[in-house]
Amino acid sequence: MSTVAADARHTIIEQRAALSPRRVVGDIALVAGRNLRKVQRSPGLIVFSTIQPLMQLVLFVFIFGSIASIGGGIAYRDFVVPAVLVQSIAFAAMGSGVGIAYDLQSGMIDRFRSLPIARSAFLVGRTVSDSLRLGLQSLLLVAASLVIGFRFHNGLAGAVGMIVVVVLFGIALTTFSAFVGLAVKDPETVQPAVFIPVLPLVFTSSAFAPVSKLPGWMQPIAKINPITYAIDTARGLALGPGVLYKVSGIHLSTAFAIFAVYWVLIVGVFTALAVHRYRVG
Amino acid sequence: MSESGVVVDGLVKRFGSFVALHGVSFVVPEGMVVGLLGPNGAGKTTAIRILSTLLAPDGGRASVAGYDVVTQPQQVRAAIGLTGQFAAVDEDLTGRENLVLVGRLTRLSKEFAQERAAELLDAFDLSDAADRVVRGYSGGMRRRLDLAASLIASPAVLFLDEPTTGLDPRSRLRLWEVIGRLRDEGKTIVLTTQYMEEADQLAEQISVIDGGRIIAEGTADQLKTKVGGDVLDLRVHERAEASAAAALLADTFGISTAEVTIDDELGSVLIPVTAGASALVDAVRALDGAGLRVADLGLRRPSLDDVFLSLTGHLAEEPRPDAPEPRPRRGRPRI
Repeated sequence: MSTVAADARHTIIEQRAALSPRRVVGDIALVAGRNLRKVQRSPGLIVFSTIQPLMQLVLFVFIFGSIASIGGGIAYRDFVVPAVLVQSIAFAAMGSGVGIAYDLQSGMIDRFRSLPIARSAFLVGRTVSDSLRLGLQSLLLVAASLVIGFRFHNGLAGAVGMIVVVVLFGIALTTFSAFVGLAVKDPETVQPAVFIPVLPLVFTSSAFAPVSKLPGWMQPIAKINPITYAIDTARGLALGPGVLYKVSGIHLSTAFAIFAVYWVLIVGVFTALAVHRYRVG
Repeated sequence: MSESGVVVDGLVKRFGSFVALHGVSFVVPEGMVVGLLGPNGAGKTTAIRILSTLLAPDGGRASVAGYDVVTQPQQVRAAIGLTGQFAAVDEDLTGRENLVLVGRLTRLSKEFAQERAAELLDAFDLSDAADRVVRGYSGGMRRRLDLAASLIASPAVLFLDEPTTGLDPRSRLRLWEVIGRLRDEGKTIVLTTQYMEEADQLAEQISVIDGGRIIAEGTADQLKTKVGGDVLDLRVHERAEASAAAALLADTFGISTAEVTIDDELGSVLIPVTAGASALVDAVRALDGAGLRVADLGLRRPSLDDVFLSLTGHLAEEPRPDAPEPRPRRGRPRI
């Protein structure tokens, strides 16, 4: 090969290897676009993962709603809907790890890792597409809740704020789920592996009753449970800080601060673990 | 050594207490197809994963297209194409979408990626299926698409890790055809295989690897010669003349009659020779001169299976019971 041709080729290789902020954003967009196209190609996934929480909403609103009373001049229905939303989006977030395990199994992750793309593009792209998917699912669930009688009590800003908190909590759980997906590697095992730690946390939180009304032994668990604060924040935003304080004895600002700390911790720890797993392959 | 191509020098890799590579060295000159031939667990995939920056080595050095795999991984990634043991294609995307995605992630413009994708789909006989979702593709189609994805940005070096493992014979032949075409175009290719026939067909240079060590190197012919020379396989017309022919040829090649195998019933004689094709000519002359009539005469070379057996004492295509499979992808089902 002539020196000229060799030089030209090295120039091309150097150009392809170089990373700029614009390229990183472009890579993330390509990966996210690919994930969203997959979601779009399997609409059943969105439909069924929305129907299941819908049935739960109906159960809580029409059955428990008629026998449970929460006090504070608020319907149990309105109390429980933000919690069902947080829980549903948390479970929907688990799909992230399953998708990653499939990518690992099919060799797609090796393919991405052998390309000259930003190392962060795969995981960040996954987070971007998951956020959009979770946002869409929350909007569908909120619309369904409004149809069966749920009402916001804190204005439009509160409603928007609640949806943002629900999606943010979902994003935090996608990082946990992504780590499990990369660690467990088998798509069929990922589902139970993320479900088993999260399900008891949902039950031992303020989801279905205020912490003060939970059995005594459960209260300390509920008080350190991150899901309690995600739900209390969502609830405070949907129903107003006054209602939250009356039924749960916690200020919205306190709930939000604790939620924010937990969020940073969960996202920080599991992103670091997932990135490490992704890099070592 | 050569600026381009692949240079591997004393590569070591351990998985826990299992040593997958014990200081492996080999060179792939620019424009050459080199086959890494060895059984399961020999370290082939580990070597490819290190060369394609998917795995960090524990010792030794390696460079691809002039770039160090440890210190310049990003340049290496920009220079290579990788087709692994499992077709790494997205089942939910169409063939075309898969190629365009990989092309754009390798920095091709959208237009150029689309143009290249169309070219490759055509060249690999996938045009009809181009806009169908990959889920419905056959195994052979997936491998061809995977190979097309590795080629979309015209890489300087192409790694093919057991490209035909698990394919039916027809799909295998088809893929050989495609790889043969790339070889003829002068692509630099590192190919791993556990099939003798595949190495013989595709590789210009073969490194035999076993238990994490390179145990022999050379062209297929050189390796075959290493095992011993060729065998002259003679069938005489009159069975009764077999021993006469055997004595004559032993004399011609200066070997003792004890080295010649005679089958009186078939009238066949097997004579080990070192001179290759010229031995054939000598044999014909001698037999003709003595007035012995020949029914069939051929020169048989030892197969690569013979080579592997004589080098390692076991066959390449049988997994060795004493060597655990290194599992770089832990927990992953091997199909």
